[in-house]
This record gives sequence, structure tokens and C-alpha cells, in this order.
Amino acid sequence: MRLRSLVHLASLNLRSDLRGTAVNTAAACVGAAALVFFVALGMGVGQAARLMFPGDARLVEVVPGAVSLGAALGGGALDDGAVARLRELPGVDGAWRRLALRVPIAASRAPEGVRMNWPTGFTVQVPVVGVDAGLVSSDLAPGGKFDDPPAGEAIPVLASRRLLEVYNKTIAPAWNLRRLPPGLDLMGLQIPVQVGFSIIPLKTEDRVYDARLALAGLSDRVPLYSLAVPVETVRRLHKEYGKADTGYSSVILEARRPDDVPGIAAAVRRMGFAVDEGERAIAERVGLAITVTAGALALLALLMTALAALAIAQSLSASVRARTRDIAILQSLGATAGDVRALVLAEAALVGLAGGVLGVGIAWLAARGVDAAALGLLPDFPFRPTTFFLFPAWIFALGTGVSAAAALLGALAPAALAARVDPARAIS
Amino acid sequence: MISLRHITKRFHDGEREVAVLRDLDLDVAAGAFTAVVGPSGSGKSTLLYVAGGLDADFDGEAVVAGKDLRTLSARERASFRNGSVGFVFQSFNLLPSLPAVENVMLPGLFVPPGIPAPSIGQLRGRALEALDRVGLADKASRLPGRLSGGERQRVAIARALLSRPAVLLADEPTGNLDAVSGEAVIQLFSGMVRDGVTVLVVTHEERVSSAAGQVLHLEDGRLR
Repeated sequence: MRLRSLVHLASLNLRSDLRGTAVNTAAACVGAAALVFFVALGMGVGQAARLMFPGDARLVEVVPGAVSLGAALGGGALDDGAVARLRELPGVDGAWRRLALRVPIAASRAPEGVRMNWPTGFTVQVPVVGVDAGLVSSDLAPGGKFDDPPAGEAIPVLASRRLLEVYNKTIAPAWNLRRLPPGLDLMGLQIPVQVGFSIIPLKTEDRVYDARLALAGLSDRVPLYSLAVPVETVRRLHKEYGKADTGYSSVILEARRPDDVPGIAAAVRRMGFAVDEGERAIAERVGLAITVTAGALALLALLMTALAALAIAQSLSASVRARTRDIAILQSLGATAGDVRALVLAEAALVGLAGGVLGVGIAWLAARGVDAAALGLLPDFPFRPTTFFLFPAWIFALGTGVSAAAALLGALAPAALAARVDPARAIS
Repeated sequence: MISLRHITKRFHDGEREVAVLRDLDLDVAAGAFTAVVGPSGSGKSTLLYVAGGLDADFDGEAVVAGKDLRTLSARERASFRNGSVGFVFQSFNLLPSLPAVENVMLPGLFVPPGIPAPSIGQLRGRALEALDRVGLADKASRLPGRLSGGERQRVAIARALLSRPAVLLADEPTGNLDAVSGEAVIQLFSGMVRDGVTVLVVTHEERVSSAAGQVLHLEDGRLR
């Protein structure tokens, strides 16, 4: 039987039993809608979580051990020798130093290059950490440099990408400040600061001088509430203010592959250092929780699809039994057992496809509804996504494909039943 | 055109075996109009099912339209039913959910692989022509339930004619029809015979058998 004939006859049969077709299509539709809705929700929430917790699965943050018996027994300060040893660990692709600045820096004036209603007399302490340029080089604005500048020049800084979001969504509304424009519009922005000044009593250094920080980029590898400057700048300032060299605050190791991370973490601990799970662990835990939840919901949706397949199987079996004589008539006109089997399967496939397309549409509409409700009901918080759903093109194919496959699966037994009809017995 | 030799057909009734056709022989020449008469339950319909390739479970030899039915596979038998024979039944056997024209188109949907198949549009055109031949072109879009008995039987005849078969097998074709409608059906059969179609009718009605060129009596599973 030709495909066009098969589709023609299957369509006629479906149209002749509109009630049965509608019930079967609805069953397939519910399964497909649930599957697409939950998979899209899982992916959308996952994407939102990755924006909130941008953990890099290849990074390991090494910090000095909480209890150290000195360098002779391993551990101790994270000095250049330790950094070199860490860099040699198997699976390590790079080792980047971080050094917290122990000289206070404060800002009392609005940044230059951006319109901002800085409150009069308002001073904010600026936490600063020095980092190796290699850690953030990919986040520098085009043409940007991240070196310790000559005296009198602005110090390049990188801010956390998330800090901007937190400022715009939390700090600015709370303090009635103007919101900042997104991303690259801020590049080159200069922040006048006082080096050595602290808002905490008795913490201001003997020498305070004016300097400028120049925004060179935004990075997820900068701690949320810090500005990152070149590590050489921090060492220079420590020397200027007579701060003792106590080693680096931490060393960021970059693994070649995420699979290498557990081995690297174990080797670090054997060296007497500790691993700060910090944000990476949070990101991993959040990611795992989302994956498990989305997986469970998708599994539930698959179960619903399987139930839909069972409903279709039952309905088609009843339909085949009711149409035994019709099937025998078709056989008397030249239909083979294979034609009859194909006809039942084609009817199921058409129902599954129609249900799948409808289900995908319903899932998309439901997602838009949930997004609209969330927009109206949820407060504006940092990283609030514009949508909690992701609908890549393949998800439409998944919805219709799984629905059609489930319907076909449900139709296998009824199709076999139809193919076994004995025309001479059924027609007489 | 139809040659049946030593045909025996048995049915199982519980543990009991009942022979409906017993060592039956039948010869029908090409283009002949033959009627088989006999009382109800004498095996007339079974004889047609054997000759039409609907029932392959029999003993003996059956050669119809040049095909040895004993040697055909299930797929070849389906092809034989599609292209070589046409069936007309007492109860019309139209699909009630399809309009008349779609019922007539049905054999064209099962054209076996290797034979050029018409498009759906061409098939519809041929079906309308066939309906025109039986005088029902104006009722092509009607469902069988909205047609009279005689009209339904003419739709069934149009369907049987669609594939231009060499042999037409009719099972009590006027059994559910009034005199006028029955006469119209008989006239259609006569016309088909004139066109070279071999017609084998099983009936217990004299008005049909009297139109046939050869009348055979089926009793106790044998033709006399």
C-alpha cells in the first residue's frame, strides 16, 4: 500500500470516528504537553540558576590549611613555591594567584563617565583582591590591559558580572540611586578612590592619597562583593604600606576537564592545603537539585505519556474489534495483513502527531502564562529571569516525536490483532 | 476462466468436523454468466470465498483467472483479490463511514507494489466514472446509510468494477433488494458479461438464475 493511500485511508477512518480520535488525541496531547512543559521548565530554571551561581566546573580554589604544621610537613603559606608545585599537579591546566588587599580603599565620589546621583557625604569601602591576569584575561574589554600601572595612572579593575545585577536590582532601588547601564557601556568608567582610607574608626592608614580605578571588564571569576586588580598592584601597595608578606589568599587551579577536579582536590589536600568548595559547591548542589527535580518531573511526564499510550492501545483495540468486518471488507478488496497493520499504525501515528503538536502548543502557552503570572507576582530580584522556560527547536521535535512514538507503541498490539482477522470468517 | 477440481472444504464445529464442499468440480468459461443455486447453508458462499481467494484453507485445485490459488502466498492472494476478481455481497459490505465515492475508490488504494498506482485524484475520477456507469454519479458524496438498498448494491458493483476484474463473484446480490432494484442489478451483470467479464453468482432466487447462461445446483456439497 502506497504511503499516500495509507495516509488517505487513515485520515478518513479518523474523521469517521471523531469522538474516538478526539479522546486519543487528548491522551497523547496531555503526555506531550506535560513532557515539553517540564523539560522546558527544567532547562529554563537551570539556565537561571547558572546565571545566579556561575560556578565553573573546572575550577578548584586552594586556600591555606586551617591547621598547618609548617611547610616542612606540607601545607603552610601559599607562596610562589606552593603555586609552582600546585601547577605541576596531574590534570592541572593553570594556577592563578589571588591576594586580598589589606590596605583599605574607599570611594567618596560618583564614578566618572556615568550619570549617577551619588549621595552627598556617602563613602563606600571597596573590598579589593589581586588576581593573576590569566584568570580573567578572557573577560577583559577589547583592547583592555590588566597590568600594574605606572604611578599616577588609573588602576585597572574587574567587577563581578553579578555585582552589577545585584546593584541594579537591590542596592540602587533601596538607596534611591540611578541604575547602571548593562555590560560594556560601563567599560572605561573611572572611580575616584582614596587609598589608605577606611570608614572603620582607627583603620585608616597614616598615608592617604587619591587614585583612580578604571573598569576594564566584568567577570564571573571575580568574587561577588570585590573588585579585582592585578596581583602585582596589591603586592606593590602592601610594600608601600609595610604589610608583611603572608602568602596568597588563595590559588585558583583550572583543571583540563571537569572529571579531573576530584583527583586534583584530593592531591591538594594531601599537600596540606584546603579546598574552598564555596560557590562551586553551591553551584553544583543547585545544579544537581535542579537536574534531579527536572528529571523527576520529566519522568512523571514520561509516565503520563506511557499511560496515554496504554489508553490509546485500549481504545484502538476496542476500535479494531468493532471494525473486524470493515477490515475483512478491505481484505476482500486486496488489503494484505501488512496493509491492515500499517493502517492501524498510521491512524495511531496521526493521532500521536496531532496530539504532540497540540501538546507542544499547550505547553508553550502554559509556559507563557506562568511567565506572565511570575512577572506580576514575584518581586524584582537579582537575576530574576524574563522566562522560567527554555524552548529550543529540538524540544518541539521531542514533544511530537515522543507522542507519536508512544501512540505507535500503544498501537502495536491492536495492529497485530487487526492483521490476524480472517476475512472469510469475518465477512460471512 | 474458473476451474475448481476436487474441492473439499471442512469446518470444525467443536470436536466435530463438517464438510461443506465435498469433492466439488466447477468449470466456468471466460465471459460466461453462471449461477449456482441451492438452499441456505448448502455452501454457496463458501464456494465463492474459495474461488475468490478469501479462503485458502481447502483441499483440491482452484485455478481462477489463470492463477493457481493453492500456490499463491497470502500477499499474492491479496493481489489476486485486488486485480483479478471483484466481489458483490448480499449485505453490500460497504464501509458505513465512507461516502459512496470513497467506498468505490477502496480497491485502488491497495494496488500492490510493482503495479502503477493512480493518484488519489485519478482514483476519484475513476470511481466517479464507475458510479456513473451504475447510474449513481449524483449520489457520490452520500454515506451508504443515506442510500436505498438497490443504490447500495449498485455502489458495491461500481466498487467491484473499479479494478476492471476478469471475474465477478456475487453472493446473493439481490437478496436484500426489491424487484425493481434486483432487476437493475441483473441488468448490470448482463452488461458486464457482454463486456467480457466472467460472472459467477450464487443465489437462491430464480429471477437471477434465469438470467444466467449456466445454472448449477449445489446440494450436499456437490454441484449437479
